[in-house]
Amino acid sequence: MIEFKNVKKKYPANSLREEKMALDDVSFNIKQGEFVTLCGRSGAGKTTILKLVSCEEKPSSGEVLIENQNICDIKKGQTCFLRQKVGSIFQDYKLLSYKTVFENVAYALEAFDFDGDKIEEEVMQVIDLVGLGDKLNCLPRELSGGEKQRVSIARALIHRPKVILADEPTGNLDPYHSRDVIKVLLKINEAGSTIVLSTHSKDIVNALKKRVITLEDGRIIRDEEKGRFFL
Amino acid sequence: MIKYISKILKSGWVNLKRQGFLTLTTSIVIFIAVVLGTALFIFQGGVSFMTDAIKDKIDVSIYFNEQVSREEILKIREEVAKLEEVNKVSYVSPEEAYENFVETHQNDPYLESLEAIEINPFLSSLVVQTKEPSQYKAISEFFKKDEYVSLVYEIDDYKRGTIIDRISGMSDGIRNIGIFLTLFLSFIAVTVTLNTLRVSIYSQREEIEIMRLVGAKNSFIRGPFLIQGAMCGFFAAILCFVLFFLILFSLKTNLETLFMGFDVFSFYRNNIITILLLQLLIGVGLGLISSFFAVRKYLKD
Repeated sequence: MIEFKNVKKKYPANSLREEKMALDDVSFNIKQGEFVTLCGRSGAGKTTILKLVSCEEKPSSGEVLIENQNICDIKKGQTCFLRQKVGSIFQDYKLLSYKTVFENVAYALEAFDFDGDKIEEEVMQVIDLVGLGDKLNCLPRELSGGEKQRVSIARALIHRPKVILADEPTGNLDPYHSRDVIKVLLKINEAGSTIVLSTHSKDIVNALKKRVITLEDGRIIRDEEKGRFFL
Repeated sequence: MIKYISKILKSGWVNLKRQGFLTLTTSIVIFIAVVLGTALFIFQGGVSFMTDAIKDKIDVSIYFNEQVSREEILKIREEVAKLEEVNKVSYVSPEEAYENFVETHQNDPYLESLEAIEINPFLSSLVVQTKEPSQYKAISEFFKKDEYVSLVYEIDDYKRGTIIDRISGMSDGIRNIGIFLTLFLSFIAVTVTLNTLRVSIYSQREEIEIMRLVGAKNSFIRGPFLIQGAMCGFFAAILCFVLFFLILFSLKTNLETLFMGFDVFSFYRNNIITILLLQLLIGVGLGLISSFFAVRKYLKD
């Protein structure tokens, strides 16, 4: 499903044009339906991996394959089609501030030329799944952090993507809401979607008992089935 | 396709309503540009009114000897009227010339002297108006032909020549200044509008980024912004149209005095369709172009 082959990613670090190595010779394979947690300190390379999968960044060298398609071969203007296979959940929710809960979720469907008549039905189903049926017409500023994150999850789910990328989705939430979010992710995983979760939370990693990839300074230092938080 | 367009239209309209402050500021900036465009259009109208008025006052008078009969002069008038350069040619009899003089010199000591000599000293003349002020020389050349030299007493172009040249130069100057001002102010209006819209769209760069991340095509992201820009321009144009109409109507008399007889309200009314189209073109055009360029920056893959 997702394959990294000797991937290196460098970013220009400062005005002196020195480069910072975000990923250094990273290789791994994620199968369809897996739940993988990426662990590591800030700057270890977790977000870079997610950005490469969602095609926000291109590798400096090596190959990133999504369903056997190399992201470097994707032509200009075609990135949107890859993103339609991937649902993203962000720490800062990234909701459209002038759209209601319903419109934020529906936007992801409208953007894919989805049949207009079915949009309402689909959106209502997903919003009910995340438990926000009573907040349909609220704008993001009227919601709590947990509710915003649930909207973000609903938006990521709406087009039934094969992969969900969750970049520290519990980073801004209290433990109670964090548990809710993880429960929803597990439910989605059970339905067959691949989940790639990046987190700092020891409790979450240990409670999940799923595959854990631990990164340090851009390198994979551990990759274990049913892993535990190790830093 | 229709559904896709209607989705974009709806989204643009909803954004416009929800982003009230942004809509207002954008509309105000475009409004200023539309006002400037309209004012320049009216200014051009005024310039052309003034240059026409100046040209109307320029004519060449050909005075004929006393013994030349009215019929002969009328025949010559027909010949002159056939000349390409001639706009209007009129015959002034000695009696008419006398009456004109009396009319324009009321309470003048000259009039008393004229009455004292008890004869009409005025000669018959042809007053020729050319299409362009500079063409007066062609008329004087025409009357220097052998067949006319003996009939003509005097051509007054030698006296007026310099004045005609100067007035002609002045009307060209006014027109050139008008064109320069139009271009210069239009450039400023376009630059200011473009930059203001760029700043307002810059504030929404995060929203554009989110739209890209959820997989929206560039055209789907750009569409509502273009609609928003066009709608702001449309509102600005309509507001400008109505305000100009009301202001020019209420200040009709004052403006006519101020602009030396140029009736601005009548000019606006007579050109109402052109002006409305011009305002819509400036407003909607500026809104569309500025939005297009401002969003383009954030849509690169």
